[in-house]
Amino acid sequence: MVPSVLPLLALAVPLVAAIGIALLPARDGTTRRTETLHLGAIAALSAVVLALVVEVARGTDVSALGGWLYVDPLAAVFVALIGLIGLLTGLYAWGYVRHDLEHGEIGPRGHKIFHVFFHLFLFTMLLVVTSNNIVMMWVAVEATTLGSAFLVGLYGKRPSLEAAWKYVIIGTVGVAFGLYGTVLTYADGASVLADHEGAILWTNLAAHASALDPMLVKIAFVFVLIGFGTKAGLFPMHAWLPDAHSEAPSPVSALLSAVLLKCALFVVIRYLILTTRAVGADFPQILLMILGFASVAVASFLLYVQKDLKRKLAYSSVEHIGLIALALGFGGPLGIGAAILHAVNHSLAKALIFCGSGNVLMKYGTRDLGEVKGLLRVAPASGVMMMIGSLALAGFPPFNLFVSEFLILGAGIASGHWVVTGLVVLLLTVTVAAFVQIVSGSVLGKAPERIGVGDVGWRALAPMGVLVALVVVMGVAVPRPVARLIEDATAVVVGADRATPIAAPWQKAEPIARLAAPAAPRS
Amino acid sequence: MLNLALATILTPFLGAVLVALSPQPVAKHLGRAFAGLALAFVLGLAAVFAAAGKPTVARTVIAFGDVEILGFAVDTVSVLVAVAVVAIGLLVAIYSGDYFSKDNREHADIGRRRFWAFLLVFIGAMAGLVFTSTVIGQLVFFEITGACSWALIGYYEKPKPFASALKALIITHLASLGLYLAAALLFLDTGTFSLGALAGLPAGLKTVVLLAILVAAWGKSAQLPFHMWLPDAMEAPTPVSAYLHAASMVKVGVYIFARSLMSAGEVPEIIGWVGSIMAVATLIYGFVMYLPQADLKRLLAYSTITQLAYIFLGLSLSVFGSKLAFDGAIAHIFNHAFAKTLFFLVAGALSFTAGTRMLPVLRGILAKSPVLGVGFVVAALAITGVPPFSGFFSKFAIFAGGFEVGATHPVLMVLTVVALLESVASFAWFLKWVGRTVPGEPSETMAAAQPLPAAMKLVLGILIVMTVVSSFVATAWLG
Repeated sequence: MVPSVLPLLALAVPLVAAIGIALLPARDGTTRRTETLHLGAIAALSAVVLALVVEVARGTDVSALGGWLYVDPLAAVFVALIGLIGLLTGLYAWGYVRHDLEHGEIGPRGHKIFHVFFHLFLFTMLLVVTSNNIVMMWVAVEATTLGSAFLVGLYGKRPSLEAAWKYVIIGTVGVAFGLYGTVLTYADGASVLADHEGAILWTNLAAHASALDPMLVKIAFVFVLIGFGTKAGLFPMHAWLPDAHSEAPSPVSALLSAVLLKCALFVVIRYLILTTRAVGADFPQILLMILGFASVAVASFLLYVQKDLKRKLAYSSVEHIGLIALALGFGGPLGIGAAILHAVNHSLAKALIFCGSGNVLMKYGTRDLGEVKGLLRVAPASGVMMMIGSLALAGFPPFNLFVSEFLILGAGIASGHWVVTGLVVLLLTVTVAAFVQIVSGSVLGKAPERIGVGDVGWRALAPMGVLVALVVVMGVAVPRPVARLIEDATAVVVGADRATPIAAPWQKAEPIARLAAPAAPRS
Repeated sequence: MLNLALATILTPFLGAVLVALSPQPVAKHLGRAFAGLALAFVLGLAAVFAAAGKPTVARTVIAFGDVEILGFAVDTVSVLVAVAVVAIGLLVAIYSGDYFSKDNREHADIGRRRFWAFLLVFIGAMAGLVFTSTVIGQLVFFEITGACSWALIGYYEKPKPFASALKALIITHLASLGLYLAAALLFLDTGTFSLGALAGLPAGLKTVVLLAILVAAWGKSAQLPFHMWLPDAMEAPTPVSAYLHAASMVKVGVYIFARSLMSAGEVPEIIGWVGSIMAVATLIYGFVMYLPQADLKRLLAYSTITQLAYIFLGLSLSVFGSKLAFDGAIAHIFNHAFAKTLFFLVAGALSFTAGTRMLPVLRGILAKSPVLGVGFVVAALAITGVPPFSGFFSKFAIFAGGFEVGATHPVLMVLTVVALLESVASFAWFLKWVGRTVPGEPSETMAAAQPLPAAMKLVLGILIVMTVVSSFVATAWLG
């Protein structure tokens, strides 16, 4: 652990941006200034995040604030996701929010609120994944709810206010369970560790996990899984998710789905590590498998019957979070590696398609799939990218989700869960049908007369183009540095020695056998 | 050599991108040009390959660490099949350029960029599938061809074609799960995706992997119990049916099965039994389904199902040690591709000129349009295996192989005889329709038919020649 200023900088940039934008007056003439500040802030944030991730990828875990902030490869993967998706959805929001402003969907006040809370939201999510203090981690998760609820209710219409309310209530109640889990873990640690105050730091708990009381660890994990699982959108705690994702402005839907759910999963993974070291892998794995499978099963059918484009995509998020949980449940280096890779891949594809749904909204003014027809004819570039996004989320090669879904399948077979794996692949076929319906029903076909031909502006298309490129690159050949980072993150979870990194997610049979044996805790 | 193979694969993909970026009227020319370019590359490859004495060459293209993800292999079988799929791709592209026109009496259409882009992607993916040397590569290209097939079946954007397209996609995707399983098992046991690793699997696992591949093959080649997507896929524009659902995509199934048999070394006999019994069941089912069909394209769809069953039969018989049956099956892939494309393109030409492909209202095709009449007769004879047309030689090899192994396995003898009977009966059935539609005075519909564009005539002419020549090409090539 090396002290560094980078984690602090990463937190400071969005916080300062939020305060700065909040201090600007909200009048018609000031929106351009807000945009400039917004763009400068996301650019600065991505530079800091890049520096931080490169630092960690080189092999040094960094910390700050006396160990309260801690970034290891596992956290770095999620920090990178927040930085990348934050940058791209931030760029997308530039054109999207301006469109809303010009069409009177929001006023200058709403424009300001959006940008303030966009950056606050990024700040809270970064705090979740960089936090080493488990209580602060919980506070940060709670804060993400508050930060994003205003974004969900931005339009101030009845359905969006209701969605925001539902989100706050379910989110808060759910995360309260997380607090029990957090406090239990701390109390457990404090009674074992010589240094009582040190028991609040995850790294200390992880180093002495074997000394923790097994029963308390199990109870704490159940609470954590329910609490943070609510935030991650796992069935049956997912009820807030479809409303919130569909009512939020599209760039925020993208952030919620692509990053926020992953932040909650990140917390679950942190506790999964503790639990596995304390009581072995069987107990947490079976719970993750049950919740993951149930999420995939329920979401794939609900996904199929939705008539609203963004609700469809929201259920698809429940399904993919379920798949990630399932892969964590399959365990082993292959399963963990596949889960982390899938989290990354899903973020890219989901951000792409939520931005695409934003283009649909800008063009048609509705998300009703019955009315959205012929996108390809009226907006060819958006149409092609929606098609790519749909096929990617359906798991077709050469796009990235194919790779990680294949690995999850492999992990299922490798861990001997034949029946679950078999059922899941059948359920994924239902998803294929659901996504193909989006393409045949809305991207193709004849456009309504009232919709003029002409694509949305380049500000909205350019970030989507970058996402398409990433989706293809991650599908054809995962770049070496990215793969290394994911391997290191996997090693953090399975507790392998990082000096001899495992070759997950592509590792060979012998290393699997070697690493399946429980390894000594990392120093 | 491998650079030529890669060029064959990548050229059409590049063409598809260009089509997407160009205005609609240019798409047709780009489509034809890039299909032609791909053919030039693959013919160049065949020439270089033959000149070098047909050595098997392989190279890894994408690897992760030391695990081969995607590699390509050039050998006798892959070059032969690649030439067929790319050449027919070009012929279909030439034909489609005129088929999609305002003059088309069945479906007036301008030939949207979507058609050309997906056709080119499909040609590239087919070439990729043929040359790939890994199971994961096969899976990737298998799924890409499935997605292209979905887009092309649904081309007319009506609810019924979309429903058929979805059906085709879902059924073939379900079958592809076999390939997912095979790839995962192979990887977990051997740490590689290379097809060559099949030979090193323990016997029990090898059986499971080969059966999983066989299931995937059944799905793509529309064999029982996954056959039902193919007749519905006839909602596709006819050039698409000709190319995807007769010449190339349905051959993906038999091809991946053939490749895994080639790579698997000693193949457990159970694979042969399952394969040959299901093949004969499909044969019988397909023949029974000929009887109620009045739509020429649906009749052809069932005929495709039975012809693919012959190929499965040949491949399965080879498990019992008949090299002849294997070569016959490979030759049948090649011959059937050309003959069935001809038949479908004749059906498409009938739609184009007469506005219908319902057999009962078509009479006197020969009198009105000699090229269509001759094409119809030649295609029917080639499909049913009448000498001197191509189908005879490859079917003969399969039957001969069947009798060869039947000498020691009486049950296989029975299966071969059943297949032989089916062959005779389907000849009789096609002869009936030829007799009713080709000769005589033109019926009302036929008399009102419009002339065919030159490009379509040219393609039909080339294919008529190929129905005679293709079997000699295949025999000479396979040696």
